[in-house]
Parts: sequence; structure tokens; C-alpha cells
Amino acid sequence: MIKTYALRTWTFLKSLRLTIVLLSLLMALVVLCTLAQVEMGTAGAVNAYMRSFIVWRQFAALPFPIPIFPGAALVGLFLTINLAGRTLELQRTWAKAGLWLVHVGLVVLFAGEFVAGMMQVDTNLSIEVGQTVNYVQSYKNTELAVIDVTDPTWDEVYSVPDTALAKGGAIAIQGTPITLNVKRYFANAELSNLPPGAPPSLATAGVGTGVAVVERPLVSADNEMNQASVFVEPVASGHSYGVWLASVAMGAPQAFTHEGRTYTLAMRLRRQYLPYAFTLKQFRHDVYPGTDIPKNFSSLVQVVNPSRSESREVLIYMNQPLRYEGKTFYQASFGKNDTLSILSVVENPGWLLPYVSCVLVALGLLVHFAIVLRRSLKRRQGQKGA
Amino acid sequence: MKNLAKTISWGAGALALIIALTFALPGAKPRGFDTGGFGNLPILEGGRVKPLDSLARNSLLVIHSRQGFRHDGRMVGPDEWILDVLFRPQVADQQPIFVIDDPDVISLIGAKQTKNRNYFSFADLAPHLDEIQKQASSAQPIVAQKRSRFQSAIINLFDRVYLFYKLRNTLQLAGSPGLGWELQSLGTADATLRHTDLTQLAHFRILPPQAGMGPDAWQSIGQALTAADTGGPLHPGLIPLAKLNAAYVGNDPAAFNLALSDMNAVVSNLKPGALSHATNETVFNRAQPFFVGLSIYLVAFIVLCISWIWKPEILRPTAYSLLCSGAIVHTLGLAARIILQGRPPVTNLYSSAVFVGWAAVILGLIVERMYRKGFGTAVAAMAGFASLLVAQNLGTEGDTMEMMRAVLDSNFWLATHVVTITIGYSGTFLAGAIAIAYGIRKHIVTKVDVETDKALVDMAYGIICFALFFSFVGTVLGGIWADQSWGRFWGWDPKENGALLIVLWNAIILHARMAGYVRDRGIMVRAIFGNIITACSWFGVNMLGVGLHSYGFMDQAFWALTGFIASQVVLMGICYAPARFWLPRPGSHA
Repeated sequence: MIKTYALRTWTFLKSLRLTIVLLSLLMALVVLCTLAQVEMGTAGAVNAYMRSFIVWRQFAALPFPIPIFPGAALVGLFLTINLAGRTLELQRTWAKAGLWLVHVGLVVLFAGEFVAGMMQVDTNLSIEVGQTVNYVQSYKNTELAVIDVTDPTWDEVYSVPDTALAKGGAIAIQGTPITLNVKRYFANAELSNLPPGAPPSLATAGVGTGVAVVERPLVSADNEMNQASVFVEPVASGHSYGVWLASVAMGAPQAFTHEGRTYTLAMRLRRQYLPYAFTLKQFRHDVYPGTDIPKNFSSLVQVVNPSRSESREVLIYMNQPLRYEGKTFYQASFGKNDTLSILSVVENPGWLLPYVSCVLVALGLLVHFAIVLRRSLKRRQGQKGA
Repeated sequence: MKNLAKTISWGAGALALIIALTFALPGAKPRGFDTGGFGNLPILEGGRVKPLDSLARNSLLVIHSRQGFRHDGRMVGPDEWILDVLFRPQVADQQPIFVIDDPDVISLIGAKQTKNRNYFSFADLAPHLDEIQKQASSAQPIVAQKRSRFQSAIINLFDRVYLFYKLRNTLQLAGSPGLGWELQSLGTADATLRHTDLTQLAHFRILPPQAGMGPDAWQSIGQALTAADTGGPLHPGLIPLAKLNAAYVGNDPAAFNLALSDMNAVVSNLKPGALSHATNETVFNRAQPFFVGLSIYLVAFIVLCISWIWKPEILRPTAYSLLCSGAIVHTLGLAARIILQGRPPVTNLYSSAVFVGWAAVILGLIVERMYRKGFGTAVAAMAGFASLLVAQNLGTEGDTMEMMRAVLDSNFWLATHVVTITIGYSGTFLAGAIAIAYGIRKHIVTKVDVETDKALVDMAYGIICFALFFSFVGTVLGGIWADQSWGRFWGWDPKENGALLIVLWNAIILHARMAGYVRDRGIMVRAIFGNIITACSWFGVNMLGVGLHSYGFMDQAFWALTGFIASQVVLMGICYAPARFWLPRPGSHA
């Protein structure tokens, strides 16, 4: 009994009828998502229609949103099962070789999108002409940096990610005698000068004593940023150095000294330090003569990698990114009167999969259509002969 | 009889080519002036070096919607017009070239609307320039999609008037005695001010870079005069230009033509190759291969239609031979664009229309060779005609060989992604066209011809396979290009979604056929729907005005697209309806 149900379900899941229904649903979703972009923006529409299992809709008359359509994630899931089922179903003959290639290629393509969705890390690297930078920076995530600045030639950086701050409690900084007691963490906050007569700040040391902090709801739009802020109490060898306020909204880092070593505290966008460094030698922003039409943006960087004893110049320009040590650096933006170059940095272990898929599917379609054409020509020849 | 048919058909094709060739020949010299030679002079405008003739044609297209106009009982061509604008603004100002269709704009300038198109001269508009500018600058901050009809029309008029104004102040300040006088009064305080004005108003740069300067250092008249004001050397091109100016104003064709050869010598000396490149482009402009090709396709289509009712043994090969001639002209035009621009065939919406038509015609020719039923010729001629007509309408917005913005400046990706995806469009359209032919034929032809029906379905099926291949590969290549330039393979951008829709739709048709859910008629109806999807993906996403790919909002095109979709829906209905469903059924009392 159970077996027949399972068999029936499997037959349904791998049926061509389901393929067609799913492809049609996907078409409808793509159309809806495209139209919705006018109102919701690209990111909003993609999240609502493409990266969701169910498309929800809030009607004015109802207090809660109701599901109106399966989301592309759900359709994609079924399509993958369906695709796998159909692929297994294909006869293992040379006549079907093309179709095999096509469907394996599609599986690779879906896998590539899945890997990108799950594992791709987007960061950026802003660099001014003449400056040397050895880290990439997150767009959204933050960290509390504790930096030992005692040696004027070398900064030792210890950092606590925002996720650890959000959990709170005592955080021991490995490699130093310091433990941070998180008093309060704000994922997004608005800072202002403490008005006279207001309740005192949580901070007992540093500039934070004169600052009022008000919690704000999280923002997610592309052009807005969360002002992550935290009250922490550094404790070392049983001695407290007071409660300090650190925030992304604040500029200069604040320092305290413990046993002859000076540490600074600063909340900043999360950095990932690289075992190599980039120096921007030149940034070019060319326009076509007599116009403002941009012709080219390019950054000439010196890549210095001591671990490989490598030091070479690389030109990064439009459509010509630098792939280096698993990261890809793209010319993305510029500023400060063409002296600042911003490279977007993408780390996607699956970046090669779409290329593989493209070759497989193209080859498969060619083989299959060649087989079909040959069969049709043969048939026509047969008819003529008769 | 067979030989006669052959002679007539190939004769017709050859005749069409000869007529096409006559377009490329230089025109007459109005009043003895070598205006064509003047149009050959290279200039720098819009970021590229082009002949003055191209600028004249494109400016006249923008201002007047045509490349020439009738005035005082004769045709004025683009080269003669630009000469008047540059050197005799008092004449050009009187020519009624500004087309204004919007009734509110017409009443704003105090004129009455007439039944015909309304043409105004610059002199007519001159008293209202302040008002036009005031209205335009108050409409300017509103985003294009939200402007009212009047606001769009007034901004459009302002842009055209401003273009004309800049042109007439590029080689000399309008109303001044001319370039010769400027050269005599160099260095005076008044002159310096005038030369600053000339520099600011200049629409193009006509003086080639002098020895020792960068290859892009073309100068406008204002720049060269300003340099001379401060004691710098005189640019060698200024004197022949001043002579050209004086001779044209003084109505002395011999002196004009002599000064022109002086100017040509200066250009050839300073920038070898620029003059011949400009001359080639002028020949291409004059030949108008896409307009000629469009006309030949139309004739071929009409001849083919006639062949179905009269003398098919002669007319069908004639139509095929005409189609071949049209394809030759079309191919030569496409090749000329590729050579002149140094880029792959598709660089903007205009050239995509030219290329879609070309690929559809070539595919149709192949199909006709395979099946020889006249249908390949019919749909190829129709597809070629329709897409070149679309191209003609898209080409009225200015230079069709404009420069590519940084991210698009990649011949490799333009040649691979853009070309493959455009061939995918062609295939989908051609399959749709065959399906339309199938649907209409079913209702017209009296006797049932299973074999022809089967052949048409086979053609459509084969072309859908072809289109699926190219649109899939093109879409994935686009993703790879995006990965190369922005670091993401797929971003659900409207243009990407449009391409994906074509792939999905073709895949649905093929899967439905394989599973046996649709038969011949079902495939054909779906192939017509493919036209709608392709048109939306090609033009519709540009109208959404979001995303990285949108190249401009086109409101007139919106209505054209809506009309096209409606027509396709009707054709789907016609194709779906059983043959002769309108006849009274036997036994009914109609």
C-alpha cells in the first residue's frame, strides 16, 4: 500500500506533465518578479518571488498576509527533483546522449546557483592612490576591533564580530590579558549629544559619557547602514577600565593603557586581513573625447605577497577582474575626484560551475539537434525514394 | 518556358541590385557647390570621428524626422542644409524644419494647428525661445516616465531648438560677418569674448589635431581662435574654412570648391586616413542599405503573394531571387557598419533590430532551400521588412554608431553573448512567422494539403530547436559576462529575466511536444505566443526603466508594442480556430 503511494508520488514527481507545470510557474514568477521590481526594487522583488518558498501578499482587509503563489525556491526544488528523475529515466543509448548532456548541464547550473547562494561572500576593498591595503571589508557586518598600538610600527589587531557582541556576556580576548564585559549591544542605534538633565550614559569612560544612544529598528535597503553600537567594559588582571561606548557612527578610536601596553577600541565594518597587500599605483577614468561618456575605469595595483615572494603589477579594469587566491577583484566604483578606487571582492567557490554548465548544455543541444536533423533528413530521403 | 522563368527571376534580382547601387552614387551639386565634398570632411562629435554628412543627417532626423525636406519647390539634402546652418543661418532660419505635433505646444507658440503635420522654421520659433526654455526647464527635473505629454513634447522641442542653435554657432557666431572677419580681429577684447562663446556653443570639433598633440586633440573653431588670441600659431585649417565661408556666402561655387580642396589637403596632412574613413561612411550614409533592403523585401513579399494566384512558375523564383538581392544589400550594409565602427554587429537597440532581421532572412533562405514551397521566402521577406522598419523607427534618435559605455566596451562579449542572444530572438520570431503563415493558410486554402501542413510544422519545430539553443547559450554567456564585470552570475535583472522567459517558453514547447500534450496546431499557437514573449523581452524591459540593462524609456514604442501583442493574440485565435469555422454547418439554418 505504502509502496504504491510512494511509487505513484515518484511517478508524479518525474512526470513530464509536472515539468511543464513547473516551467510555466517559473515563467509566471519571472514575469511577476520583473514587474514588481518597479515598485519594490530589484532586491525586494527577488527576495519576495525568487528566494522564497511561498509568495505572501498582505491585503488591506486582512490582518495577516496570505500565501498567493508558490515561490521560486519551491518551484526550483521540485524542478530539481523532476530533472533528476527525468535524467535517470532517459534511456542510456547514444541516441539520447545529447539529452543526457543537457540535463546534467542543467543540474550543474542549478548546483552553481545553490553554491553561490549559500557560500558566496561579497566584500570590498577601497584604496586611495598611493595607499597600501591588506584587508577587505564587509558591506554590512561589523566588529569591535581591539588594537594593541604600543609598537608604532606594528598594530596587533584583535576583533570581536558583531554576532559575538549580540550574545553578550564576558568575552576573553585571546592573546591579551583583557576580557570584555558586554554591557549592552545595539544592532542599530542613533547617537546624539547627551542633553543636560537627561539620565547619565551607561559609559563611564571615554567620549561615550556625553552621548545618548537610542535603539533603532534594523534597516536593509542597499543605501542604508545599521549603526551598530556597544557598551563594553574591558577588565584585565581584575582591574576594570570603565565602561566605554564604541559605535560605527563614531570616528576616532579610544585608547586605554594596561601594564604599559596601549589598546584602542573601535567599532567598524568587519575586516578580513589578507596574507598579501595591494598598493594602488594609478587610477584612470577615461572618457570619449569631447564627451562625458565613460570609456574605461582601471586600477593599476601592485600585489605584494610575501608568502609566495611575489610582487607584481596588475591592471584591473572593466570586464577584466583579477582572480587571486580564491578571491575575485572587480573594478566597481570610484570617488574622491578619481583618487579613490573601490574594488568589489567576491569569493565564490562555485564560480566555475556556470562555465561548465554552459559548455555541457550547448554541446548537448548541438548533439541532440544534430541527431534529430539526421533522422528527419533520412526520413525525407526515404519518402523521396519511395 | 523554364529558361524564361529563370531569366526573368534572375533579371529581377539583378535589376534590384542595380537600383540599390544607384543610391550610393554622389548626388548633384546644388548651384554648383560641392556640398557632398563638404559633407565628407571629418569632425569629432559624440566621442568619435565621423563625416559632417553623418552629423547633418542625424541632426536633421532629430529635428525634422527625415534626412531631407522640400523648400522653395526643390529638395534640400542634409549636406546643403548643414552648410546653410553653419554659414548662412539667415537662410536656414527660414526653412520650416521643426515638426511639432503636440497641440498644446503649438498653441504655446501662438500658432494654429493645421490638419497636416505642422512645420515651423527657427524664425517662427525665435520670439518664443524664452517661453520654451522656461517651460522645458520646469519639466526637466521630473523623471521621464512621469512627465505629461506636454512636458515631454516641450522638452523634446527645446532639445531640438538647442541643437539647431548650437549648430548655427559652431563655425561662426550667427549674425557675425563670418570666420574671415574673426581672423582679422584676433586678439581684441571683444574677439576674445566672442571666441569663448564659440567654444562653449560648439557642437562639434572640425580642426584635426596638430602635429605633436594627442590623437584625440581635435579643436573647435572657438578653441583654435582662443589659442590664436593669446599669440599661439594659427591652426592651418582656419584659413581654408574662412575661404569656404566667404565663398559660400558670396555665392561663388568655383572659389568654394577650390577652398574645399585646400581644406582636404590640410586634413590629409594632419590626420592621414581620417578623410578616406569619413568618405567611406558618407557612401554608406548615401546608399541607405537598410532602407533599400526594406523596400526590396517588401517587393519580394508582394511578388510572392501574387505568385499564389497567378503564374507561380515564374513569380515564385522571382520572389526568391528578389529576396536574395535584398539579403545581399542587407548583408553589405551590416558588413559596412561592422567595418566602419570596428565592432561586432549588435551594439545598441537599433543595430539589434537590423541584425535580428538579417538572421531571420538568412534562416528563411535556408528553410526555403530545404523545402521549396515559397513559405521560407514569404516569412523571410516579411521578417526582414518588419525588423528593418522597426530599425528605421529606432534610428531617429541620433547617431546609430554611438560610443559604447565602459562596461559594454568589450568586443569579445558583444560578439559572443549579444550576437547569440539576438540570433535566438530571430529564430523565435521566424518560428512565430511560420506559425502565422500556417494559421492563415489553413483558412484560405480550399483543398486539404497534409504534406504542406506537415512541412510547415517541421520548419517551425526545427527553428524552435535552433532558437532554444541560441537563446540558452546566449543567456548563460550573458551570465558569465555579468560574472566577469560585476561579480555575479545571475541577478534577476529585467533583461536577464526576459532572456530566461524565451528559453523557458521554447523549452515548454519542446517538452509539451515530446510528451504528446500538443499536436501541430498547439505547437503553432505556442510559436506565435513566442513572438509576444520575444518582443516583450526585447523592448518591454526597456520600458520598465529599471535595472542595469535599460537603455532609455520609449513611450511611443509602448503603444507599438501593445498593438503588436494584440495582433499576435488575434493571430493565435485565428491559428487555433478550426479551418473554415465561419462557414454555415450543413443542416444549420444560417
